[in-house]
Parts: sequence; C-alpha cells; structure tokens
Amino acid sequence: MTLSTLTRPWAAISWGFLDASAKREMRRKMIKAIAVPGCQMPYASREVPMARGWGTGGLQVTLTLLRTDSVVKVIDQGADDSVNAASIRRFLSRVSAAAETWDTLEATLIQSRHRVPEERLREDQVLVLQVPNPEPLRPVQPNMSIARQMHADADYGRLWLVLYEQMVRSGRIMQGAAYPALVNGRHVMTPSPIPRWDVPKLHMARHLTFLSAGREKRLYAVPPFTRVEPLVFSDVPYKVEDHADLVCHRSGLRGVFMNEIPQDGGGSAFEASDSHLGIKAIRRAEGAATTIGPMWYEEGRFRP
Amino acid sequence: MALPHPTPDDLRDTDAFEALMWAMARPGTVRSLPEGAADLALALLDRETRVHAEDPELARRIAATGAALVTPDRADHAFCTTAAGAMAALAVLPVGSALYPDEGATLVMPAIIGAGPLLGLTGPGIEGQCRLRLGGLPEGLLDLRSARCRYPEGIDLVLVDGRRIVGLPRSVAVEVL
Amino acid sequence: MAYVATRGGERAIEQAERLYREALGPITPERVAELRLALPLLVDRVMGEASLYDPDLAALALAQAGGDLYEAVLLLRAWRTTQPRLTIAEPVRQAEILTHRRISAAFKDIPGGQILGPTLDYAHRILATEVMEGETFTPAPVTPAATPAPARQPSLADWQRANGLVADPPRSEVAPDDIPDVTREPLLFPASRAHSLQSLARADTGGLLALGYSAMRGYGNAHPTVNELRLGEAEVMVRHPSGALFSAGRVRVSQAEVTSKGKSGLLDLGFCATFGWNEVKVIAGATLDLNASGAAKGSPVEEEFVLYHTEPVEASGFCIHFKLPHYVTFQSSLDALRGAKTAEKDEVPA
Repeated sequence: MTLSTLTRPWAAISWGFLDASAKREMRRKMIKAIAVPGCQMPYASREVPMARGWGTGGLQVTLTLLRTDSVVKVIDQGADDSVNAASIRRFLSRVSAAAETWDTLEATLIQSRHRVPEERLREDQVLVLQVPNPEPLRPVQPNMSIARQMHADADYGRLWLVLYEQMVRSGRIMQGAAYPALVNGRHVMTPSPIPRWDVPKLHMARHLTFLSAGREKRLYAVPPFTRVEPLVFSDVPYKVEDHADLVCHRSGLRGVFMNEIPQDGGGSAFEASDSHLGIKAIRRAEGAATTIGPMWYEEGRFRP
Repeated sequence: MALPHPTPDDLRDTDAFEALMWAMARPGTVRSLPEGAADLALALLDRETRVHAEDPELARRIAATGAALVTPDRADHAFCTTAAGAMAALAVLPVGSALYPDEGATLVMPAIIGAGPLLGLTGPGIEGQCRLRLGGLPEGLLDLRSARCRYPEGIDLVLVDGRRIVGLPRSVAVEVL
Repeated sequence: MAYVATRGGERAIEQAERLYREALGPITPERVAELRLALPLLVDRVMGEASLYDPDLAALALAQAGGDLYEAVLLLRAWRTTQPRLTIAEPVRQAEILTHRRISAAFKDIPGGQILGPTLDYAHRILATEVMEGETFTPAPVTPAATPAPARQPSLADWQRANGLVADPPRSEVAPDDIPDVTREPLLFPASRAHSLQSLARADTGGLLALGYSAMRGYGNAHPTVNELRLGEAEVMVRHPSGALFSAGRVRVSQAEVTSKGKSGLLDLGFCATFGWNEVKVIAGATLDLNASGAAKGSPVEEEFVLYHTEPVEASGFCIHFKLPHYVTFQSSLDALRGAKTAEKDEVPA
C-alpha cells in the first residue's frame, strides 16, 4: 500500500459538487427520513458555495438526487426567474450539466422555496423544499434538545394550546405560512413556510417530498401516499388563504395562490404566484400550443 | 470552471440510490439495482459507518470503503446473505430510539421476489394496499421486527433478489393474506 | 410573456456580481501573496473559522471577498466540502507544541518560565502616521536572548494535576481515528467533548467574544483566571500506509486554559484551541467552556446556546437571508390578519 492508494486524481470540483462521502451521508439520512415520515433527521450539512439560509439544505438534497438525466426546476416564491432561484439553477447546471426547465410538467426534480407548484405533481417527481427552521415547536420551545424530547414523547400539547389561544384571542387561527401538520399520525412537522394553500398538496400525494434545513442540519421527508394533517380543532375547519376568487391581472388565471401588488390608487392587483403557470396561461390565450397539467385546485377548491 | 463529469462510480452509486430510495418510498414495488446488493454497500457506506456483513467476500469489499466491520449488535447497516443470518442479525441490530429513530439499522437480506406467500402491505408510500409475493424469508421475521421495535424505533429491511429489490421500511404494516 | 420582461432575474444577478467584482479589480497571485504576508493574523482568523489550514487559500479567499470575513470563511468551507478526507492526524499534545509564546496569569512564575514571545500587549497603540507622510515604519530589530527558551514547554495543568489541585474532567478513551468529527456529523446535545471543542475551534471570533465577555461580566458562574495561554506551531503527524508516522507539515495553533475554583473545592478548567494565532478567541472560548457545565438552559453561557449562536457561516448566512423575498409568507400572514378583522366586525352587534 502506498500514499497514492489514499488519494485520488485531482479534480477542481466533484460531479454534483458534493464529494462522494458527503453524498453517502445524505443518502443514508434520506433513507431514514423516508422510513420515519415527518421526523427530523440530523445530518452534518456540508458548506456549499451559497450562504446558509439561502437554500443550502435543499441544495444538498438536490445535489444528492441529481442524475445525468435529471430535469431540474427551481423556484423561489413560486417564480423560476426570481434571483435566488436563478442562482441555484445556474449552480446546478454548472456542477452537473442537468437539464433546466421552468415547466412543472417537464421537471423530474423541483427545488422550491416557500411554494408547491399549482399543477399536480406526479409519482415520478421529487419535490425538495428549502426549510429555514425545521422545528415546529420552536415558538413554544426554543431549546432544540428539549424540543427533540417533546417529539420523542409525541408531546404536542403546547402547540395545540397556542392555536387554541389564537382562536380565543382573534376568533381564528392566526398561523400564516408554515402551518404545522401531523405526518403519518405520529410526528408534527413544519411543511416549511409554504402558504396554507399548499399544505393539502402534501397529503396523500403521488410525489415524494424532501424538506431540508442546511443551517439547522435537519432533513425530513413525506413519502407518497402519506397522511399530512394540519393541526385543527374538529369544530374549526382548516382554512387556506382566501384566494379562490382572485383573478390574475396578467394571465386571467383564477383559483390559484396570488401575489398581491399594491397599486398607486390605493387598491391591489393580483398575479399568479406560480409564475410559469402564468406564462403558460398567457401563451395559451395567445393561441400557442401549451399544456397545462391537472391542477390541485379546481374552481378554487382543493381536489383530493 | 470546467464542467465536472460523473465517474463510473458516481453513475453506479446514483442508480443504486435511486432504486433504494423509491423502493423505500413505495414499499412493495420492485426496483432494479445496477448489479446487486454490493451496489447498495458502495452507495451508502464509508468510514463513518459500522457494518455487519455475513459474506466474507462482501465483507472485504465493505472494509475497503473504510467502514468498520462490527458485530450486528453495533452495526448501523447489516448485509446478510442467508435467512438464518438475517434472522440472527435482526434479533440484535440497533433499533434506535424515539429520540433518535435514525439510529435504527438498515438490514439488507435475500428474498425471492414474486413467489411465496402473498403479503398485503399498508402504510406510507402505499395507495390503499399493495399485494406482493415474497418467498425465502425466515420464519417469524416480521413478528420479530415488530416485537423488538416500538415505532418510531425500527429496523428498515431491504430485500434483494439478484438485481431486484423491495423495501420494507419500519413504517409499513405487513399482513399475510 | 410579461413575466419574463419584468423580472429578468438571471441577467440582474450576473450584472450585480460583476459590479461587486469590478470594484475589487483583478486578483493576481501577487495580491494574494502580499495579503498572506501583510495580514497573517487575519489569515489565521479565517483559517480558524473555516477549519481549513492553508494560508495561501485563506489569503485567496480574503482577496476574492474583498476582506469580508464571513464571505472568506464561507468560500474556504465550501471548498473544503469538495475535498476528500485522506487520513486522520495524530492528536497534538501540549508538551509537544513548538512554543513561541506561553504565559500564565495564575502564578508569578511557572515551570518552564513565562515566555512573552511576540505580542503587542505592552505596546502603546499609536498610529504610525508618519507612513502617510511618505516615511517607512521600520520595526526595530530583536536582540536574541542569551539563553533561548526551550521550544517545548510542559503543561501547567500537569503540574496542578500532580499537586492534586485540579478536578480532572471525565475522560472518554477514544481511538484517534474514531474521535467524533463535527464536520462529518451533526452537532447534538449534550455534545460530545470532541464536538464542543471542535465547534469552539471553528466558532466566530466576534461571537465567542460577545458571549465570553457576557460570562466575564457576570452572566456566567465562573470568573476566569488565565491558567495558560499558548501560541505555537504543531506538527501534523500522519501515518504512512506502511505504518510509519511522519510530519506532513506544521500549523500555527493557539490554545487557552482558564481556571476558577470549582464547587468540589478543586480548580475547574476551561479549554479552547484553534488554528492560527488568535488570543481573544481562545480566551473567550475557554471562558465559555469553563462556564458551560451546570449552566441553565437558555442562559448565554449554556453550551447549546453558545455553540448554535457562534457558528459564523450559519449565523451570517441566516442574517443576510432576510434580504431574500418573503412575499409568499407575508401574503399568508396578511390573509390571516384580514380574516381576523372580518371576524371581529362580524361579532359587533347590529
């Protein structure tokens, strides 16, 4: 045995950026995440060439999943050309030559910050959600060791109490995005700061979802056909954002999650948050051949 | 910066992981490895893992990854090649804890996929019920697993038949039909 | 196609990066070499926080980041991610460090002697403004000591131990190859000793100072005395596949050991070591280590609080991530807010 058996040919960068041992650790943790849906699995979380908090957790999962035939879509706030989405997509193709797309239907792998696309995801697709804070118990317990024990004991009483207090104080549950949900009847997870509109899309879905927090070094998964139930009281139904009747002023789309754009006159205009769906709707209106896939919401209602 | 190219190892590892990931995410569906159980070892193991391997030849290949070869009671991954070996390993492999369910081991073991008793699987990853014939499993395997583990503790099973694999993660419920 | 025309994200980020890089100008090998030479302590600090010892690459990172420390540390850490682990070096023992400076505040003199070494501690901090008038500030030459101090110095704690003065922390015997590595495993609590010390070693200097200072001012239980502060060079001993140990080179290291009287009536010790010479960091880090045991959950000296909040890449990254758009979450909150207002109105009796 010589020193050279310890080393390898020099390369400025590995294919898919992460070195082989980083990928193996990710694989091991991703398998465990699938085996215990919604349970936060700790991982080492290597530094990647982006600042922590900018999607480094999602990026490590995506880099591990990348194949030579992957077609990747990256969105931030629903938009493909949002600056950080563009930066991540450019990085992915720089380190792997993965094909890029803006079209949800064409993608095999979708990395997203804060949104789930409006077109239904299929069984061959993987959604990777970037997670800033993986701990749904943080508002009631900032100490991670204690929160971990609470998950172990399925001790979610204080979380329920917070929701109940909101009901009493404000007449409704005030949780905006990142609505906590019980996964597979056992672990409460934060679905990442997606709007309430998007949480039902994870419930008994056909696709596989990974959620990964690089800074906090935790990843978890929602396999296909897994129960994801937002925490609600039996007499107070879960309420998504009141967007069902809004109309996108650009594309004419209706019944999708909207961005509100304040107007000079004092009112608001709305545009579809899923930007490429908006583009497809405009193209279709212009008479171009465009395929819009089946949607999660029809007529403003979620269709299971 | 030049575009990096995948090595043959990169390609094999990615294919093996893709098969394993979907096998676990959709328990009961059959996936294909590039060659066999050794692919899983190479895609998952390195010096940060502790492994039990029954077959001496596979043990040699695993040792070359830097993984520590240990007795099954200390292993995070076990590669068994006989039904009896798998049963013995399952009896002592770590199951993790409610605090750290990820410390439950992964057991890779042989089975005959598509022949044998008809099983009905339910749980995450499965729409309704998935039916599948699995043969060659040691008597009492799944009973032993449920007796030893209280979810979210558990041991995740990967059944290998040549190049074909089926995943039985701890989250899945199995009944003999 | 209206969406594309109004956003143009890809072009915008490309040009924004160019604007930044244009202001820094070309980065040449000469610039990197000059930085390494002129700013050794800054290079040390970056190497420590990056947990990667390579002064050339650290100087390159500083050049590329225009001196933004957090950017430089991130550059180095991200580069480190792409590098394979070839081998694990032997532990460095205190008594084997080639010592340049070693002082103790606990005793007037100590076995092996007080060695001041290079320091500005007793210098008057006067700006050499004559340089701005065209003169060169030339340091006065050093007169070598008649009898140079030995390069290797014993550990003071060993003397204290021999005299039954210190409470020895519980030892966990681990083979050097099996020492937990916080860059390969997540940091969990209660943290292993190795993970705590590694996290302190790569912590943000400013972060350790802020929290360490809070402990010194009274938010901690233990007031530190500097038992031993050491700057030196350590041999990186690795094993050749044939079995022989050899030195792969030397790295500059700092270490501090602080002490206070413990509850048991013996001395407690706090320890911190890092790559490069960085005295503030190791004294503050050792003070936090000294205060960690028995600290209340959520106190500024509790281990989880300290280690999570002094991680330079995580803390700085999360801080700047608030620049990213958050309009989806904001929209969701707005909806809840409006919903609550409507509910309020409904409750008003007609």
